[in-house]
Amino acid sequence: MPDILVQYEAEIWSSIGETFVMVGVSVLAAILVGLPVGTLLFLCRKDQILENQFVFSSLNLLVNIVRSFPFLLLVVFLIPFTRLIMGTAIGTAAATIPLSIIAIAHYSRLVEQSLLDVPKGVIEAAVSMGASVKEVVFKFLYVEARSGLVLGLTTSIISFISYSTIMGVVGGGGIGDFAIRYGYQQFKTDLMIYVIIIMVILVQLLQFVGTTISRLIDKR
Amino acid sequence: MIKLHKVSKSYSRFQAIKSISITVNAGEIHGIIGASGAGKSTVLRLMNLLEIPEEGEVEVNGQTLTNLHSKELRQARKSIGMIFQQYNLVANKTVYENVAVSLELANFPREERKSRVGECLQFVGLESLKDKYPAQLSGGQKQRVAIARALANNPRVLLCDEPTSSLDPNTTAEILSVLENINKSFGVTIVIVSHEMEVIKSICNRVTVMADGEVYDTVTIKPKRILNTDNSPKYFVEQLTKVGEMDHA
Ligand SMILES: Nc1ncnc2c1ncn2[C@@H]1O[C@H](COP(=O)(O)OP(=O)(O)OP(=O)(O)O)[C@@H](O)[C@H]1O
Ligand SMILES: [Mg+2]
Repeated sequence: MPDILVQYEAEIWSSIGETFVMVGVSVLAAILVGLPVGTLLFLCRKDQILENQFVFSSLNLLVNIVRSFPFLLLVVFLIPFTRLIMGTAIGTAAATIPLSIIAIAHYSRLVEQSLLDVPKGVIEAAVSMGASVKEVVFKFLYVEARSGLVLGLTTSIISFISYSTIMGVVGGGGIGDFAIRYGYQQFKTDLMIYVIIIMVILVQLLQFVGTTISRLIDKR
Repeated sequence: MIKLHKVSKSYSRFQAIKSISITVNAGEIHGIIGASGAGKSTVLRLMNLLEIPEEGEVEVNGQTLTNLHSKELRQARKSIGMIFQQYNLVANKTVYENVAVSLELANFPREERKSRVGECLQFVGLESLKDKYPAQLSGGQKQRVAIARALANNPRVLLCDEPTSSLDPNTTAEILSVLENINKSFGVTIVIVSHEMEVIKSICNRVTVMADGEVYDTVTIKPKRILNTDNSPKYFVEQLTKVGEMDHA
């Protein structure tokens, strides 16, 4: 292993740990909130089973607003909100708040798109068999859209990693921040390049796993 | 068994169904035929309230569906089976799971599900394919799975929207005899929408002819036997080269 990596090994590991915390919480938020929000976006559309113009337009607008913020501005804009919830706006834990919000907006849109790929007839068949909304969602929609949901989550996670690199501005740390502080600001270009290589490998791995899973569960 | 009473349905400003009244008697195979856009599918979808009418009453199985709350309506739909031209199977479920899901929805006792799915698949002749996915089946086989799924909960009524319109003549004949068999063996009332005269003539007892969102006429007929057309390559060649029917234009 290159000397410089050995020298900074402890910091690198703790930065990777911070990235995992930030991305991990974002993924949880995406699944626990983004998935239901995306599902609701889909169900409330025109001609869908919960058609509701008001709910659809409101959610749609909210998701668009969050997604149209340049992420750095969103982080700054959310500082008072973050402080309200976490007691502080600084540090890795606090950084998970803006990350979760962008994660929810990001994944909910991908969920909505995956659900739109489910043939309308399948939903119709479900309704004709007497399925409730909940049953349509869990026994039909998610089953039929599952490979898209997994691929979407993969894409989202990779974006979350990228978003997390910005969190240095509020002391969130993480591997991206490490590369900027040591590699860029202290002119240790070789260190920066090694970190970039680590991140490329990580993303490749994630994409490979995501693509493989989605292929295996796709029987269409 | 099924009564539509002065039912109307519009899409935005276009009135697709104009105050229609239709009665389908218990135990009959009732055909609905008419030109494309006449409103056949809409009428069928009104029978299980997939389309909500603006006016009129829909009665099935002694229940007035148009008066039911959503929960009661869901319950009522469990005894109204429906099959479609595009089969509408869940592609990510196996044949077995596709049939089993209708039992799950109806809270069919868990221990008896397996044998019930087996029975239904046996009835349509697909027991050996229970672990296959729809993508691995032919059109006729997919429609059989859809029939098994619709049959699983012992429905009193089976609604069929162009069930054979994507199938070749031979497979069409097979599916029609499955439907006829369901009607004969279990006394299920069947409504079948088709634009194919042969299909309607071969199994229906009574036929509603539709035009422009209205009932043009209802006629009682004697179903002629379902013909199993020859589909050997030899027959095709014979038909194609028959001298008498050559085009001399
Ligand atoms: N969701 C809809 N929105 C708007 N118009 C519709 C909708 N569904 C049906 N229609 C219109 O209602 C009329 C009747 O449609 P329907 O599908 O019942 O006809 P059909 O007799 O089944 O025709 P086909 O043989 O082509 O299936 C058509 O003119 C159609 O354009
Ligand atoms: Mg039609």
